[in-house]
Amino acid sequence: MRKVTQLAVVDPAICTGCRICTRVCPVLAITVVDRKAVVNNPACTGCGGCEQRCSFRAITMIERDDPYEIRFTWDESQTEAVNALCRKANFNPEQIVCYCTETRANEVAAAVLAGNDTPEKVSAATGIRTGCKIECVQPILRILDAAGIKPERPEGGYQWYGLTATVYDIPDSIREKYAGSGFDFDGDREIFDEVRDAGL
Amino acid sequence: MRPPITPAPPRPSQYGLAPELVTKRMAELPGMTSVLVRELFPDLPEVIYPVPGASREEEAAVIDAATRASLEDVDMSMITSDKSVNICASHHGFTLLGGYAYAQMLRTIRDVIVERTGTQNVRLRAGVGMRLRETEEYIKAHKLDEYFGKGKARGVAPIDEGIPIETEIGTLYGIKAIYDADFIVHAHNSDVREVHFHRQVDRAVKPFGMSYARADTRSTYHQNLGPRGANFTARAIFNSDFVKSKFAFASFLDMSPAGVVGVMSDNDLYRMNEALTLKGLQYYGKIITLFGELSDCIVGLDFPCPVPYVFASGVIYANFVGANVDAFDLRTLPPYTWYTEAFYDASNQPLSKAVVEVNPHIRMVIHNYAWGGYPSSFFSRHTPTIVVKREQADMMSRCPMNVYYMENALIADSLDTAMQFAYKTTGTDKVVIFDGAASGINVSESMAVELVEKAKLVSEKVDRELMPLWLKQRGLEKYI
Repeated sequence: MRKVTQLAVVDPAICTGCRICTRVCPVLAITVVDRKAVVNNPACTGCGGCEQRCSFRAITMIERDDPYEIRFTWDESQTEAVNALCRKANFNPEQIVCYCTETRANEVAAAVLAGNDTPEKVSAATGIRTGCKIECVQPILRILDAAGIKPERPEGGYQWYGLTATVYDIPDSIREKYAGSGFDFDGDREIFDEVRDAGL
Repeated sequence: MRPPITPAPPRPSQYGLAPELVTKRMAELPGMTSVLVRELFPDLPEVIYPVPGASREEEAAVIDAATRASLEDVDMSMITSDKSVNICASHHGFTLLGGYAYAQMLRTIRDVIVERTGTQNVRLRAGVGMRLRETEEYIKAHKLDEYFGKGKARGVAPIDEGIPIETEIGTLYGIKAIYDADFIVHAHNSDVREVHFHRQVDRAVKPFGMSYARADTRSTYHQNLGPRGANFTARAIFNSDFVKSKFAFASFLDMSPAGVVGVMSDNDLYRMNEALTLKGLQYYGKIITLFGELSDCIVGLDFPCPVPYVFASGVIYANFVGANVDAFDLRTLPPYTWYTEAFYDASNQPLSKAVVEVNPHIRMVIHNYAWGGYPSSFFSRHTPTIVVKREQADMMSRCPMNVYYMENALIADSLDTAMQFAYKTTGTDKVVIFDGAASGINVSESMAVELVEKAKLVSEKVDRELMPLWLKQRGLEKYI
């Protein structure tokens, strides 16, 4: 769920068409036409990533005339499948997976099950990864992976690079090597298990 | 009672309220006083900075001399005159005491590299948290762009182009611009700060998994590895062949709650890490434990940083939010950390018995001056919050990371009306102000009395009970 109140606006007199904005936009709402960035206004979530990374300060954020809310809903009959996908990715369906938008795992899973098969489509459908754009790409990739989906990165994009390890992937050799140094992988895995299974 | 310490001034930034709108500071309220941290804990070391009565230039000379002295035994022979060097920095250092000491350390590191190696190709790469242009602001404010030379000082962000790094837990990703030199120098600070995240385990290594890392890696840290294993992300990257091949040395501002104790430099980051782990526990363990002993109070946020990062007595507000649980004890889950935040269900009930409520003694929060640019809705949801001035409330609501912050906060027209409401509603006159007061803390007179009364007992408890536990959990029994 995400309230969208801001809109990116490009000043074509400043824009050089360098494409940085297209490479960081989490919902692919910007294209370059005739060497100028063009924002697809309805698709823009107002995250400000383009404005923050534009080297020429050609983009400003303005208040939307038409604020809206992104929220992905699903039929109750799908809840079992949604919850199962969350737990397969080692999330509790109701836990938060995006700290900015407070998107929960079940909303992401429902969006994935509905056919949103890339992080960019999931972000557009749920609003996840449209706040800081930093901390929540792994939950999206984990849920896509649990659904058997191997997404393609946007061509030339910096939106994301790849799925990484979780506490479940830490091999015994690493756990033994660093035992006693403060990295409590076993304890953390117990908490993850407890959270994942809560409500079962 | 001492007069209040002058708070850190408001700073012009795109992430915060315009300084001219910050018309009254909490330290100006009637009945406020201050306590110096070295009065509370006399065993804290003497600081070299700030220097009372000294000019900015004289203080810079102190940091310059300390940095040069720390670098005397550092091997720079791997850097020849034809090599390039990136001095890697982070935004955090610029938030300490106005950032002047950190900026001077960066200048001196540059100068010494040039003097000793002959290379002219020394750049500054300054990472950020979530305010992606924040270090650009600091670079300009401290004129580091002019000092390093045209195009050589730049801010880098976690959504910039990445570079894969093969580690012992698989591929992780760094920011390409951090590593686009032959050698890197890790220039940071040692204050404990986000103990809820790093748990004082590998504190000195953390930026390799954070400020210097791509979003993919930071998401690994905050979503994948868990509340005690998270900082292994940083170790995995630092241990990689790729990073080892580029790492030259590290320099750290050695911080205590009272200020800068010194500068440390070493070619061996783990040797420095062990020393800083010990110092961090010694310097910060007592003040954070003392925060956990305080009774019901009103908290003031009044510093140019996002909500959890506003400072008092050298520690951040997030430390106070979780002070009801010993964050240094690795058996616990801090009441505030992103894993904790994640582990509440849709009806705001914890999904794990390890999740406990935030510090219940924070009865009300007066957000007089604190920035957006960091997800902070957790704080207004879990503690009654009043935001001073509609302009500041609107600023929070415009922030893409805080779209829900104001759903659980009230707005006051002025600081005075906010405080009247807080005093009346909470029934306490005890106030703790997070306003960046150097070397001390601004509080109400009643809270000053409580701090002094409890400090001695806390000091004994830490020395006798907690420090041995903390050291043992980190494999540092030899220091007990």
